[in-house]
Amino acid sequence: MSGAGEKGPATTKTPADFLKSIRGRPVVVKLNSGVDYRGILACLDGYMNIAMEQTEEYVNGQLKNKYGDAFIRGNNVLYISTSKRTLGEGA
Amino acid sequence: MSSNNPSQLLPSELIDRCIGSKIWVIMKGDKELVGTLRGFDVYVNMVLEDVTEYEITSEGRRITKLDQILLNGNNIAILVPGGSPPDE
Repeated sequence: MSGAGEKGPATTKTPADFLKSIRGRPVVVKLNSGVDYRGILACLDGYMNIAMEQTEEYVNGQLKNKYGDAFIRGNNVLYISTSKRTLGEGA
Repeated sequence: MSSNNPSQLLPSELIDRCIGSKIWVIMKGDKELVGTLRGFDVYVNMVLEDVTEYEITSEGRRITKLDQILLNGNNIAILVPGGSPPDE
């Protein structure tokens, strides 16, 4: 039942809906600088401030750092993506 | 007064009509995205699905596929309904 109804093409999903739906899930957060952070989304707010766990920092697709816990200030965030991707870069 | 004039269409109403269809987002700087629009808010933060991200770098174009994203509206420059890809 988790994640059911997320793909309904007729339904709209506002940014607020999206934020509610992704807590606790693995995500990719890209900053304006181009740096990627991958990890488990612990919590977030309407400013796109984000707390992540098991965070991996990728610069130019290469793993540079790991953080157990990380806070990202929302103004730096370009996008938040659910991470169910097939591209296996930076393995 | 002119709210029932059909020739008056707010920009946000135009975007609203794009929900469920492909849209091409051109960002400030050398970045573009194409995806299916799921929703947006007053800041034009957007929820996009089945996204292709194009980053124009000095070594060429880097393409990233993303499942579902919340795109920050802060750096959005242009929205093109229909979503024709950057290459023809």
